[in-house]
Amino acid sequence: MFQLTELQHDALVEIFNIGVGQAAAAMSRIVSEEVTMSVPEIAFQSRAEVAHTLGAREGRRICAVAQQFSGAFNTEAFLMFPEEKSLEIVRLMVGQSLSLEELSEMEQEAMSEIGNIILNSCMATLANASGKELQGSLPMYRIGTGNDILGESGKQWDGVVMTLKIDFNIERHHIYGYVAFLLDLPALHDLTQYIDSYLAGVTG
Amino acid sequence: MTTVLVVDDSRISRMLSRQFLAQKQPSWTIAEAASGEDAIAQLDGLTPDLVLLDLNMPGMGGLAAVDKIQAKCPTARITLLTANVQDAIQDRAKTLGIGFAAKPITEERIDQIIADFGK
Repeated sequence: MFQLTELQHDALVEIFNIGVGQAAAAMSRIVSEEVTMSVPEIAFQSRAEVAHTLGAREGRRICAVAQQFSGAFNTEAFLMFPEEKSLEIVRLMVGQSLSLEELSEMEQEAMSEIGNIILNSCMATLANASGKELQGSLPMYRIGTGNDILGESGKQWDGVVMTLKIDFNIERHHIYGYVAFLLDLPALHDLTQYIDSYLAGVTG
Repeated sequence: MTTVLVVDDSRISRMLSRQFLAQKQPSWTIAEAASGEDAIAQLDGLTPDLVLLDLNMPGMGGLAAVDKIQAKCPTARITLLTANVQDAIQDRAKTLGIGFAAKPITEERIDQIIADFGK
């Protein structure tokens, strides 16, 4: 079983915390509202457990924007909302200038762009801290259960994946969702090296 | 007459850029392209003064399009307008001699781009 030392765990949470701060700021600019985000929660689970957990709170379909990042380490990144909140988020983004029909027509593209901004803003912090570049794929928009969403990524990992999950909340509009990052074992090995070099830099 | 070419695969991003640019500079002509290839094709009949260029697009990405846009339209000022806010990308923009602005596209961000263009 893969494990992080206490120091590695702390460093990972700290690095993602900074990224989360950037992502919260970006989301706040998009929706022109205060956005609160939780401290990243780290868990080691099977992919099936992750799929179950990701949709569990909603108990229904969620909409997700997925992006894969590669480079210093590889990760799948997801921004997820309850499906019925997505139009409201798009409305907050574009203001009152569009009719409901136009808004619905643009929903998928708008959500993809929101995901693109939030996920990139989070990942950029990690890339900048490592001094290395991460290449992101184009954002993919998906709707379904946690299983549908993870299943569509085409990965068939049997082993354990590490998830970093961050809740966010746009309180005034009762909109909540989360950002999740999944890393498989080879990616965890790369990430551990990355954390160790970060720690070496911090501790001198 | 100032002409701006907004190059972004995201329709919502093009729409927001157009909306804020038109509010701030009603006399400007705003053209749109959905990809690097589309932008380059449009330059046969269009001479933009300012190009707002997304980075991560299907087909030719923004950085790959820069040289080709500069070759066809050497006087155009180019600004990367992207969600990819990594230092490496900002450094590359500096090396290419083009501007950099981070998404999301907001009124303030467009104000800043217009101010930089006026310098």
